[in-house]
Amino acid sequence: MTLAIKDAFQRFRRTPAFTGFSLFVLALILNAAIQGPAKFLSPRSFNTLLATNLPFLIVVMGQSILLLVGTLDISIGIQLALVNVVVVMTIQEWGVSFWTGCLFGITASLLISVLLWVSVSIFRLPALLASFSMTYIIKGINVLIMPVPQGKIERVFYRTYDRLLFGVVPFSLLIFIFVLLIWYYFKRTRFGTNIYAVGADRRNAFAAGISPKWVTLQAFLIKGLFVGIAGICLTLLTASGNPIQAEDYGIKSLSACIIGGLGFGGWGSMACGLFGGSFLIIIQNTVYYFFTMLYKLIPGFSVTTYWHNFVSDVIIFLGLLMTIVTAKGQREALRQGIAQQLKQKKEDFGGKNGSNA
Amino acid sequence: MVQTHSVKKMTFLQKVNGFIQKSPARMAIIIATLLYGITVAMVPTALNLSAITSIIMLTLLLSFASAGQTIVLIAGGMDFTVGAVMSAGAIITTAIMNGQDGNFVKTLVVVLLSSAGIGLLNGICTVKIGLPAMIVTMAISNVVNRLTYVLTDGSPLGYASPAFIKSVTSKILGFVPSLALYGLVIFPIVFYLLYFSRLGKQVYLVGNNDNAARLNGINTSKVKILTYVISATLSGFTGMLGAGYMQSAKCQMFDGYAFNSLIAVIVGGTALSGGVGTYTGSIAGALLMVVLTNMLTALSLSQPVRNIAMGIVMISLLILYNREKSVRQ
Repeated sequence: MTLAIKDAFQRFRRTPAFTGFSLFVLALILNAAIQGPAKFLSPRSFNTLLATNLPFLIVVMGQSILLLVGTLDISIGIQLALVNVVVVMTIQEWGVSFWTGCLFGITASLLISVLLWVSVSIFRLPALLASFSMTYIIKGINVLIMPVPQGKIERVFYRTYDRLLFGVVPFSLLIFIFVLLIWYYFKRTRFGTNIYAVGADRRNAFAAGISPKWVTLQAFLIKGLFVGIAGICLTLLTASGNPIQAEDYGIKSLSACIIGGLGFGGWGSMACGLFGGSFLIIIQNTVYYFFTMLYKLIPGFSVTTYWHNFVSDVIIFLGLLMTIVTAKGQREALRQGIAQQLKQKKEDFGGKNGSNA
Repeated sequence: MVQTHSVKKMTFLQKVNGFIQKSPARMAIIIATLLYGITVAMVPTALNLSAITSIIMLTLLLSFASAGQTIVLIAGGMDFTVGAVMSAGAIITTAIMNGQDGNFVKTLVVVLLSSAGIGLLNGICTVKIGLPAMIVTMAISNVVNRLTYVLTDGSPLGYASPAFIKSVTSKILGFVPSLALYGLVIFPIVFYLLYFSRLGKQVYLVGNNDNAARLNGINTSKVKILTYVISATLSGFTGMLGAGYMQSAKCQMFDGYAFNSLIAVIVGGTALSGGVGTYTGSIAGALLMVVLTNMLTALSLSQPVRNIAMGIVMISLLILYNREKSVRQ
């Protein structure tokens, strides 16, 4: 029994997700220790944590898909604001229902994704620069649609989003599981394998009969869908519209993916992104509680919120450095595995030769 | 009839493409002139001495900031700390000078040393530790920005000294800002570094083919780390000059320079993949970016429309310049 667990752990240690996982567990322990395990593990605080960070987590999932297929999107954060603006404004100006507003929001996000795909895949622009230029365009569109923060959402909807079902299950968890199921479905289709082929080497994939353009388009569309859902979550969370929020999610989601152990194309899995994203979320939470603890412990201690940001950014940077320690072990394991296989093949070959002689 | 027309069009397009690929610097200057011409045609008041002064000023600042970015890109890296280091340099400058003359040397030494330190950190993280340059320099630039907030409490500290402000903003011949005199120092240094020094040759070789360069006995890690150090030092110095131009310094005031310098360098013909590029091109690219911003301001479009136009123009420029190879090639 213990052997089986040990074996499973060894196998897990070799998966790309291990890097992010170890960081995530570390952050989790730290958070629980600082906030107090009882408080941290209570459904209520979990609900708050998940509800406030669900948009970011879903955005990280979208970014992970793009990284897997070997491209990226810096404008993903401002796209969130676009969805938010479209949902709020269609409800307010055109008087449509909330659900129709959501449909409009997802459509907008899909359209932007297709536009970005055209510039990255058809015009073959470097994804970083193309999506950065796109940030300007989307920001302009957002402010054109909604000049100043405004609008509101029906109470029923945003109350539901914050709700704890049966006192234990956060409603946001259901949304998260729903998004995970969508990804699980796509992962099991042919797209799930093609994405690795195209991400690792577009030329080889093309030679093998996979269309890199089509696979990239699929990746962009799924990302668009995810960003749409994340934007709706953000709308439910803030219950109003703001045209220039969440812009930093673009860079943050990228860091999350890299911290989680994703490479630029063909290496890693969705779990990497999720662990990396969760790590960032929990670290920010921890830093907040760390400073509240300091305020309590040391009378007269006071610092600005600039310190919070500084400490969490330093930890994110250290997290990036930590990746290398774990990733190195992983690469070593991979290399050993390959070497072993090669050796085995050689022995087989030698054996055959021997029998022939 | 139709066929010949289309053939003619193809060859013209090919000619344009060939010209852009051969001399991106000249092309950038031509586009910049065209854009300025359009601006003047639409808003005649845009043609005045102070507008030209401000264009020269901003172009010089952006081209100083792009100098390091060019070297880093040619060596195959990427540096997003340009903006943060510039802001930090500006803040250090105003804090040390505090509105009084006579602290120039002290300021210079502190700014150059601290920015070189950040450059060294960039270099070690990307080269020795092997993290993706884009991500790690962004992370470091975040840390630097947050640090400036912590140190200044988010409000500006002090002013640049009057003599220093004068040395940056006074006008020669009525319209050339005296910042150009600093250019007389920086441009030759960068040109020497890239084209005539041993390091310059090594930078091109490393960017072109890392393995080949290493096999030829070049210490590639050292070369790459040095490019980051040079880039950060130049950014810090540019930030200092920027403080002279703006007179006081705010946190994150030069943040936009990180991406703007990158776009200027790319438009100037330097490849993202490394090994190809010129500093002349980057200067032309900087001019193009500044003229573009100036045009959008002069046309007095509303802020959102200006943003959209900026994005569309940048994407069109990228389509003209920097396309990756097709899968079938």
